[in-house]
Amino acid sequence: MHSLLSLTSANLKSFSRDRAAMFWTLAFPLVFILLFGAIFSGGTSRFTVGWVDGDGSSSSKALKSNPALTDVFTLQAYAGDDEAIAAMKQGDVRAVLVIPQGFEAAVKSAGTVQGGAALPITVYTDPSNQQVSGIITGIVASLVGGFNQAASGRLPVLSLETQAVQSQAITAVAYLVPSILAMALMQLGLFSAIPIVEQRESLILKRIAATPIKRRTFIAANVITRLLIGLIQAVVILAVAQVVFGITLLGNPVVFAGIVVLGALTFIALGYVVASFAPTEDAASQMVSILQFPLMFLSGIFFALESLPQFLRGVAAFMPLTYLGDALRQVMVGGTPFVPLGVGAGILGVWLVGCFLISARFFRWQ
Amino acid sequence: MPSGIRDADAVIRVRDLQKRYGEVQAVAGISFEVGRGEVFGLLGPNGAGKSTTIEILEGLRAQDAGEATVLGLDVRHQASALKERIGVQLQSAALYPRLTVHEVLELFASFYASSVPPDQLIEALDLGERRNAQTRQLSGGQRQRLSVALSLVNDPELVFLDEPTTGMDPAARRSLWDLVRGLRAKGRTVLLTTHYMEEAEELCDRLAIMDHGRILEIGTVDQLVSRRFTERTIRYERLSGIDDATLAAFPGVTRVAHEDDEATLLYTRDVAGTIGALLGAAEARGVEPRGLGIRSPSLEDVFLALTGHAIRD
Repeated sequence: MHSLLSLTSANLKSFSRDRAAMFWTLAFPLVFILLFGAIFSGGTSRFTVGWVDGDGSSSSKALKSNPALTDVFTLQAYAGDDEAIAAMKQGDVRAVLVIPQGFEAAVKSAGTVQGGAALPITVYTDPSNQQVSGIITGIVASLVGGFNQAASGRLPVLSLETQAVQSQAITAVAYLVPSILAMALMQLGLFSAIPIVEQRESLILKRIAATPIKRRTFIAANVITRLLIGLIQAVVILAVAQVVFGITLLGNPVVFAGIVVLGALTFIALGYVVASFAPTEDAASQMVSILQFPLMFLSGIFFALESLPQFLRGVAAFMPLTYLGDALRQVMVGGTPFVPLGVGAGILGVWLVGCFLISARFFRWQ
Repeated sequence: MPSGIRDADAVIRVRDLQKRYGEVQAVAGISFEVGRGEVFGLLGPNGAGKSTTIEILEGLRAQDAGEATVLGLDVRHQASALKERIGVQLQSAALYPRLTVHEVLELFASFYASSVPPDQLIEALDLGERRNAQTRQLSGGQRQRLSVALSLVNDPELVFLDEPTTGMDPAARRSLWDLVRGLRAKGRTVLLTTHYMEEAEELCDRLAIMDHGRILEIGTVDQLVSRRFTERTIRYERLSGIDDATLAAFPGVTRVAHEDDEATLLYTRDVAGTIGALLGAAEARGVEPRGLGIRSPSLEDVFLALTGHAIRD
């Protein structure tokens, strides 16, 4: 146990002192996110909100032209809740605001009537899009507060009720962030081939073999090191996505961490397959660069699978990165799944076991 | 150290060891024993099979045939128990390039059940000034010293040193020799390979001369020399007037040779008789031999005679 910890710590120290490795694993994905985020996130300042007027009164019409709303949103009227929510799921509107029947009566009763429940104004938002949902609930809450102030000292006449609706049309940035995390984990795993081949070439592996520590302890320390770096990457990418683009982790953090670990392990195993066949460090880095481009661009991580031509869709359906990106996207931001989470995890698991068996068979220590 | 080792004292016992790589018979059936507290040397040129032999004894390679026990353990089947008790310095093994000297020693110390404090080894190998330097910043000699320090991290009973002084300057080499003598004084056993004659002569209690995978001869330096050479060499600046036939007839002379027309070499079994006859003949001709000297054959001569080539060919 002691040697496992000290090997892991030695690996982490070596990694943290390697500026090139630090840049590619930590800074590069962030540069990617910020760059693409800036390109794709233009025009988010004004968005369309569905408007369902169940009251049809002059008060509700007056509210529809209230600058507090119209300055920020374009309001698109729908006849009923269901219709508006369907539009929101498709991505036509980013949120839905429902003015219920009895709105005018409630507003006029402010300050005159006692008793009776407050009338709920319902806002449907997509919680994965924190930026939009934060803005609209904030504005509607302040409007509701304004009506209620007229009834000060008495019971409020209106209340704000928010409902979560999972929009399947996610923004380009929300689509991109899990993709970049998936790409970063893929590179982390593939590039684990380089130090191990370097250690074999420079006879560090041989020197280690002359000590009593077991080979599995040595490999375990290398894998744990990579997993820790992968988790750090995931946290950094999540933090930047949240601070800069308001994208929060929608799903269960434990499930998220599990997928990060599974994805990292799968690509580390693929890295060890490379290390099993690369005779030199140079050969290993060439094999990694050659491998990473098809893995990246023939998977669904940067374009929705439906946008690929039919024959490429078949290739993408085979690529592990497709499933890692898909699984991360489902947990992080929602969106239309390519396959259910369990199926994606299963396919990654098959890749993991396959790569593990190949490298267990062909990996050389000397 | 005496050459006859009783079995019970043997720390290393090798019987008919063989190892082949494809077409190359790297080790072609060698046998030897090393006693406790001995400094034993394997001397030979590159490709002689020294490193392969040492790596089999370290449990790093499996032999094709033959037996090898180290510290009473079978090197093939009890390698992990063995690795706990031996120290290993590999030829040209790199270390973690981005760890400091102290960190590497600490890391390797963690691999063993018991270990020597890193700073003690840093002092012993004179690496104090480089304690917090990353190993990629060390000079070749410093790296070599760190590699030797690593072989001592578990305070081993037996230390394998594979060409330990390669790349060291003369001062570092001498201080390493002192370190090896210190290990012997503590009763530790050392098996080292070298292609430096001087190192073998200075350090080794006994040595085996290897070439082409075979051991050609084993013994102390004196034994190896006297077994092969019963003669001494008398050398002087060439004198005109005494022909080779006259020289060859001097008492004890077995052979006459010349070095580049500059000097004459007389190989003799009777040093006093030959010198007396030489001085007499010179005086009779009114000349005096200059630069007269007597040279004993060295390990290098033994090596040359055994293998037919110089060690660094």
